[in-house]
Amino acid sequence: MKTTPLNAWHRRQGANMAEFGGYDMPLWYSSAKNEHLSVLTHAGLFDTSHMAGVAVEGPDAFALLQRCFSRDLTRCLGPLNHPLKPGRCVYGVFLNEEGHVVDDAIVYQLGEARYLCVVNAGMGGVIAQHLTQYAEGFNVSIHDLTDRVGKMDIQGPLSAKVLKALLKDPEKVFENMIYFSFKGGFPGFDGPEGPVLLDGIPILLSRSGYTGEFGFEIFTDLSHTVEVWERLLKAGEVLGLTPCGLAARDSLRAGAVLPLSHQDIGHWPFLNNPWTFALPYDDTQKGFTKEFVGGQALLDMTGADYTLPFIGKDLRKVSIDHETQVLDKNQEVIGTVLTCVSDMGIGRVGDTVYSIASPDKPAGFTPRGLSCGFVKVHQNLNEGEALELRDGRRAIRVTVTYDIRPDRTARVPIQKML
Amino acid sequence: MKELNELILPEDVKFTDEHEWARVEGDHVRVGISDYAQDQLGDVVFVELPEVGSSFNKGDEFGTVESVKTVSEIYMPVSGEVVAINEELADHPEYVNTDPYGKGWMIEVAPSDLSEMDSLLDKNAYLKLLEEE
Repeated sequence: MKTTPLNAWHRRQGANMAEFGGYDMPLWYSSAKNEHLSVLTHAGLFDTSHMAGVAVEGPDAFALLQRCFSRDLTRCLGPLNHPLKPGRCVYGVFLNEEGHVVDDAIVYQLGEARYLCVVNAGMGGVIAQHLTQYAEGFNVSIHDLTDRVGKMDIQGPLSAKVLKALLKDPEKVFENMIYFSFKGGFPGFDGPEGPVLLDGIPILLSRSGYTGEFGFEIFTDLSHTVEVWERLLKAGEVLGLTPCGLAARDSLRAGAVLPLSHQDIGHWPFLNNPWTFALPYDDTQKGFTKEFVGGQALLDMTGADYTLPFIGKDLRKVSIDHETQVLDKNQEVIGTVLTCVSDMGIGRVGDTVYSIASPDKPAGFTPRGLSCGFVKVHQNLNEGEALELRDGRRAIRVTVTYDIRPDRTARVPIQKML
Repeated sequence: MKELNELILPEDVKFTDEHEWARVEGDHVRVGISDYAQDQLGDVVFVELPEVGSSFNKGDEFGTVESVKTVSEIYMPVSGEVVAINEELADHPEYVNTDPYGKGWMIEVAPSDLSEMDSLLDKNAYLKLLEEE
């Protein structure tokens, strides 16, 4: 099994470790529930060095990504569809010819004709090979950076305050740092508007993450990973910064309606799901603004399954295996369950779902947790429709929803978080 | 995660190979899950227990323990009738983590054959099982 540079640190803390994507990773340190809650109320720090990067550089780098990535890079930023530019990044998927997901990715534009695709653990080689397959005749270089970049995510409302204590010239760094923008870089990874120095260490700081909460992804040279991690934890101690494992990451992302690649999206058509904003639909919503690998298959397809978020009545879950079924109100089996976790930061008061971080939560509100996740069903269903999820042991009642954890902070302007 | 030498394994209980414990208290047997089990599960957030008055055979599933990550079945260490359940776990499932042999107890059973206790593992046998896992 592979390890990240922080493996010895995790083991020294007595973390509960497990294999994920071929890496020995922490599931939780002392309490997955407290780790989840700390990201909603304070801040949490996640080791994400198991994720892989693929560098795409050269005169035809743009053309190759236009051919393979699901976003139209000429019109993917903001409501006015501005083109991607240095210092901005965008979420999308790489599809195969059948329109199935090879992996999801965030593509960073580091500079003119220089891009970094950040993909899932173990997928660096696969995506590098996938891109190479379509690069014939292109003047481009593709490098799998698996295990060559240190990465950690600081997530939660106090993230910027923690960083402020360590960054050189924080006001300048945070200026205009909107959601899905980034600054800085490190040797071999020169990005825009650098350098960004954290206690003297060059980092690439990205206003992004995978929890649905305000925060940053931090990239650094592999050799600096442990140092950056320890300095953040030390600076964040007074602000309640908590190291967090993959269990909290999983429950936070599910509550934020974000997919886990190879579980919620994968070897089936990337259609009829909450994430089709990552497809380059034109104004008619019936065609695409560019041709790309997998695009035509999606346009030609009929009868694809629907992937829908759900929320439970209480925190009880079903286990996910091949026997787990989704039943409609007529007790007909209509599909399968992709993800089912408990978001321990939310709860119901009457019919309303509140988060522990909701500004309008009733006095004395303590979240008891609600199960949530995604189902894949053969027919489209409306919000509020009742479903039964059944594993070999129990059945739980859930409802189809468009959103799960309310009052998330990912898009809150940075000035309000300082 | 606790090292084996950090686990609390009391002398006055017996264990199953599914990580439940059973303690004879007068005519009854009190049941819960071991320190090892709670440590492996992580934060217990919900415990589903049977109705008082229901009867089970040794080895039957009598409830579930739900952590943030998973749902696990719990099995009867001995046959008998459930005469009490720990009502406090409804509001304080975390007792299973903080005090697995005390406030985190789950059910009390009137055993139909107390000699079934002899087939369970004592501390040393249980520790040996854990070493092999």
